[in-house]
Amino acid sequence: MSLLEVTNLHATVGAQDQQKAILKGLNISVNPGEVHAIMGPNGSGKSTLANVLSGKPGYTVTDGTLTLTDTDLTELEPHERAQLGLFLAFQYPVEIPGVSNMEFLKASVDSLARARGEEQPNTAAFIKQVRLLATSVDLDPQFLKRGVNEGFSGGEKKRNEIMQLLLLEPKLAILDETDSGLDIDALQVVAEGVNRYKNEHNGVVLITHYQRLLDYIVPDFVHVLADGKIIQSGDKSLALELEDKGYAWLT
Amino acid sequence: MADLSLPQAVTLPNYFSQGDLALPAQILDSEDVPSALSAALNSTLHRERWKYSKTAPVLEGLASAMNLPTIVGGEQAGVQISHAPQQNLSFGFDLSQAPEAFARLCYAQEAMFIHIDKALDAPLEIHHADSTVPVLLSLGANAEATLLENFTGNLQPQNTLWISLAEGSHLKHSRNSLEAAHLHWQYLAVDIGKNADYLLNNHAAGAGLRRQDIHIRVSGQGANAELISAAMISGKLALDQQVTLEHLVANGKSKQVVHNIVADGGKCTFNGRIHIHEGANGTDATLANKNLGLGKNATINTKPELEIYTDDVTCAHGATIGQLSDQELFYLTSRGISPESAQALLSEGFLRQCTQGPLAEAALPILINAIKQEQGA
Repeated sequence: MSLLEVTNLHATVGAQDQQKAILKGLNISVNPGEVHAIMGPNGSGKSTLANVLSGKPGYTVTDGTLTLTDTDLTELEPHERAQLGLFLAFQYPVEIPGVSNMEFLKASVDSLARARGEEQPNTAAFIKQVRLLATSVDLDPQFLKRGVNEGFSGGEKKRNEIMQLLLLEPKLAILDETDSGLDIDALQVVAEGVNRYKNEHNGVVLITHYQRLLDYIVPDFVHVLADGKIIQSGDKSLALELEDKGYAWLT
Repeated sequence: MADLSLPQAVTLPNYFSQGDLALPAQILDSEDVPSALSAALNSTLHRERWKYSKTAPVLEGLASAMNLPTIVGGEQAGVQISHAPQQNLSFGFDLSQAPEAFARLCYAQEAMFIHIDKALDAPLEIHHADSTVPVLLSLGANAEATLLENFTGNLQPQNTLWISLAEGSHLKHSRNSLEAAHLHWQYLAVDIGKNADYLLNNHAAGAGLRRQDIHIRVSGQGANAELISAAMISGKLALDQQVTLEHLVANGKSKQVVHNIVADGGKCTFNGRIHIHEGANGTDATLANKNLGLGKNATINTKPELEIYTDDVTCAHGATIGQLSDQELFYLTSRGISPESAQALLSEGFLRQCTQGPLAEAALPILINAIKQEQGA
């Protein structure tokens, strides 16, 4: 059974009277244990794909299907998709002053446990686990007391995303340009986190502009997205070729 | 509009006629008091301050019965409580700003004078039950204190507090006004001397009407004022906050952050005026008032005002009225948190940003509970 199945996906962005078509018949299938990289020029629809998959308001699926473990996602709210096991690492993680990182993480883990009929974790053990995870992605545990992402640097925000990935252990992780704006050290920390997360039961969709991240997180498949469609798929050598030649020879 | 008038004739309290405290600048001798009060009550400035709430019920209550507030921590070394003031204190009485509060001093005749002359070990607490006599609190040079102020009552209570901070003194003031009275009027005036610091952590819930007049004077060089306030107004309740912050001399600093949530049918008015006088060079003053409307039919009035009569100042002010951010909601829900819980978390976070100091722990659950009731969670 495939984990994520996207077939002939058409999606638009914008209010009802001024919708703009972004995805125009996109297909992708991710099986457990696989890492898929999606590359493509600016404006090709990469971030839209991430937003449509996670159910961000403002995007409309006009045709096609998307399923996660055979459950249709199109009618589900963002929190229901997360409860099914979908996770989006944001390109621009949102700052939320007044809501502490720890409080936010506890609310998230509790909600997921409740939805799945599991027991909510014991608070003391939970705090300990989160502190360990924060340290493991090079994030000072002091940051857990701050407002969510409040005053974090770009790199700290991305590490916070990866910390959540490791804590929530989703079935499918979508990383939307998690490498953008990172220096080499931070990039390695992020990649190491993703590698620690992935196993034979879950899947990763890696949206990126640059081949460099793929040196650290080795993809099983590389897809090129242009004008709302996958126009080329291959293995990791495709990424190297793109690095060398750009996108022009494909589009 | 008919002229406003006081309910009874006014007589100056003894401590003024004996010269222990200086009269406001507008009054030369006791004969002037009625006309000066009347002029102040009917001034344009005063009408503007009472644009969104009725002043008449407050005026009627000025001469009503009052009791002594309960003081905790008054027996410690460094605190003197008396019926007469220390001499040579500047409370900055200003009739144009506060005719009601000054009239209240006159009707009360007696007042509670608290003087602090050293760094206190324990906080000083003032508990108001219903209407209380005016409190005049002074800190001597280099004194330090934490003041906790609490309120209970349900009818038409009135509480007035005047604070004078001498050179180099520090006061951390926390105030909780969480019980819903029918009409609660609170007046607070603070005069901050040279290099003195004043911090107010203000937490309020709604009442039939809760009216908070706050007048802060940065009157000594290098003085610093900070006002951090959070309020949750739900149901059909109302809050009216009128803050005047004056910089009278050079190199003063002030910061005000006021977060208010107004839910279904609630009404909140905020008027924050910063007045920087001529010669107050090097002043640094900021004011931010953020309002969050939840549910339907919330009424929010906000008006930040700047009056600047000197060139060399740094001044920033802003007011926003909004709803919860879609971006923040999406971020939380994308982590599996239900929209209802996400809204509650964000509303709480909005208040939490301005819920600080020693009374925060008592205030937060009450304010948050009001949010939860509002959201039916």
